[in-house]
Amino acid sequence: MAKDAGLKGYQHALMPVINKPLVEVELLAIDLEMTGLNASFDQILSIGVVPIRQGQLILSEAQHKLVQIEGSVGQSATIHGILDTHLDAALTPEQAMAWFLSVSEGKVLVAHHAPLDLAFLQSGLQACLGEKPRLLAIDTLLLEKQRLLRQQEHLQEGSLRLGRSRARYGLPVYAAHNALIDALACGELLLAQVAAMGGATKVKIAELLP
Amino acid sequence: MDASELQPITQFLGQLTPFDSLSEQNLERCCRALSVGYYSRSSVYVPLDEEHPQLYIVRSGAFEVRGEDGDLIDRLGDGDFFGFPSLLSGEKVSNRVQILEDGLVYHLDPETFNRLRSESREFDRFFNRAFAKRLRHQGRFKAKELGSTNRVSSLMSKQPLCLDINASVSDAARLMRDNRVSSVLIIDNQKLAGILTDRDLRNRVLAESLDGSLPVHQAMTVTPTTLSANALVFEAMLLMSQHNIHHLPIMDENRPIGVITSTDILRGQSSQPLLLIGEIERQQDLESLINVSKQIPLLLQNLISADARAEEIGRVLTSVTDALTRRLIVLNQQILGQAPMPFCWLAFGSQGRQDQAACSDQDNGLLLAHEMDEYAQGYFEALTKAVCAGLDRCGYVYCPGDIMAQNPKWRMTLEQWQQKFANWVEHPEPKALMHASIFFDMRCVYGPSSLFEGLQSQVLESTKDNDIFLAGMAGNALQVSPPLGFFKKFVLERDGQEVKGIDLKHKGSALINDIARIYALSAGISEVNTAKRIRLLMEQSIINRKDALNLADAHEFIAHMRLSNQGYQFTHNQPLTNYLMPQQLSSLVRHQLRDAFKVVHDAQAGLKLKFTRSF
Repeated sequence: MAKDAGLKGYQHALMPVINKPLVEVELLAIDLEMTGLNASFDQILSIGVVPIRQGQLILSEAQHKLVQIEGSVGQSATIHGILDTHLDAALTPEQAMAWFLSVSEGKVLVAHHAPLDLAFLQSGLQACLGEKPRLLAIDTLLLEKQRLLRQQEHLQEGSLRLGRSRARYGLPVYAAHNALIDALACGELLLAQVAAMGGATKVKIAELLP
Repeated sequence: MDASELQPITQFLGQLTPFDSLSEQNLERCCRALSVGYYSRSSVYVPLDEEHPQLYIVRSGAFEVRGEDGDLIDRLGDGDFFGFPSLLSGEKVSNRVQILEDGLVYHLDPETFNRLRSESREFDRFFNRAFAKRLRHQGRFKAKELGSTNRVSSLMSKQPLCLDINASVSDAARLMRDNRVSSVLIIDNQKLAGILTDRDLRNRVLAESLDGSLPVHQAMTVTPTTLSANALVFEAMLLMSQHNIHHLPIMDENRPIGVITSTDILRGQSSQPLLLIGEIERQQDLESLINVSKQIPLLLQNLISADARAEEIGRVLTSVTDALTRRLIVLNQQILGQAPMPFCWLAFGSQGRQDQAACSDQDNGLLLAHEMDEYAQGYFEALTKAVCAGLDRCGYVYCPGDIMAQNPKWRMTLEQWQQKFANWVEHPEPKALMHASIFFDMRCVYGPSSLFEGLQSQVLESTKDNDIFLAGMAGNALQVSPPLGFFKKFVLERDGQEVKGIDLKHKGSALINDIARIYALSAGISEVNTAKRIRLLMEQSIINRKDALNLADAHEFIAHMRLSNQGYQFTHNQPLTNYLMPQQLSSLVRHQLRDAFKVVHDAQAGLKLKFTRSF
């Protein structure tokens, strides 16, 4: 897509969908692996995306991209399992951001603990396009937190993590982790959360956004 | 996209029959084609799109398939499928799928589904069989008429007597005499050319004053009426009466594989249970009773080949045993004179539960109205010895543990029996209880029901909510677990050198009997038949509906496998056993059997939780 005009168009494309029920809207469950937790100097290592259409995750369009970094993955390899050698065939950060904008255009983003992923995407986009877009995402962690607080449950340390949240809906345990599997896991969690809120034909996107 | 990156999905499908038969490449393609949905109980039914049928693969949650009239057709959990009947038949969706527990479901589109079917025979066969099973199950809760589905192959004489077309009628007559049969098939160039019967020899040879050197083809019936092996007995009867004949060659393709005669059919009918019981009641002495009881194995085979429900087969066979027992008691009383006091003949174990199968042994006892004097002792000694010996000669061998009425230990008054049960209940020592459990499945076969009820009601009163006793029983019941591991690598019982297979009785049916017994005793339920116990436990909400239906289905399925296995052994002239060789099973049946054992395993866990937690 064209860069400058594109970013505005990218944001505008989302406005009309806010008041639609989830089943009528295209979403994109995402997850990022990073070299660390600080968006101002850590870097994106990989991005996983799974589109959600008509309330279902579409695996044929699920994608996983590795991203080149400056320097070495260092100690973070122990967390995400991505080694320097894996990154040889990876996209450059510029290519990765362009790819991300194209697959996510017109789709509402979904992530678990979204602020972290969004912060990395925003600084990545700014570095490549010179413009810091305002990204909006449904945060499954926040939805879960609100639900538990409504039920007056005491929030225990770690109880909002992806795996623990999924367990409350009887969703399967995924032993393996990478950006793609976690994006899928996050998308499934959203479907379960929406089912508990009344179903994809009733719950509107606006109710899910922070 | 590299599909192997979706490892949680490839791994799940890769372990699932029939997806486990797909090549790695096809498996990855298949995973890639899926879409993932989540269904919540709040929407009650899975919305099935009539225009776009697809295969639904249950990843988590629980679902029930119900027919148009609301009948339960199937119950589904992790790794089960629905939606395939419409995909295979092209007919519109008529069933509804109710959501019992929220769950994740994978959807596979028809194009990919059909491509996998064309590329993998095993994949294709799995769904065709599942479809056939589904059709059969549509009517599984409806009564099935026995007999009408009986096949001629179950009654015909195998390896028919054959003779070359150039032989003489004397040759034929000698062959028939030596083999003591009334017909011979005439073969020309390996094909059936005709049939020669007793009647032909009389009407076409002797009555015409022809001599024995006449070639058979001049006396035989040319190109006789035949029937295929899977025709119904009913069709054979129809043909015989239409053509006024008594012999029908049975064909497999163009080869004669047997002959069925009107006598075979008569014999087959007399092994129908009601006729057999009527016959038992008419016999006047032991020898003729023994003779009649020879039909019991045939009755069992007929019921098996008629595909009757295992539960019905158990009830039918037990009612025959009951009739034999009663007849033996009556006949012997005619010899010994009237009994000096009222008494009940008690049946324990499988006869008590009404689930007898092949090669059952005796488990019985006597309940007397009051103390015996010397005369009464002598009388009942003689009566019970005669009845037990009669049962033994009729095919119900003596109990190896000597639990029989002929053992003075098991001839007791009401008070003594009550005391005996009280001992077991109040001092539930594991070893004593292990031997005692069959006594808790007791039924009165002969005698005044009021006397029997005096015993039963007292026993149930003492067991109901008796935590210590129930914990002891449960502890015993948990000693044996179902052979769940057999699905991965067959865990086989070994008998000396020989591999015996899976013990369907002791590792399957018996465990379910134990579970049903303990729950029934805890609730004071007087029924002893396992299927009926489970139904009552469900109705009284002691076991939840889903678990009860699962357990009843597992019980029926394991018992059915045991019976059809014995049917197979019988037709292959092998000794009848409870052991199933897993190699003989298709992967689908193995799959179902594993599911049934899984249900038993879960029910044992439930039993443990409910009855043994505090001890």
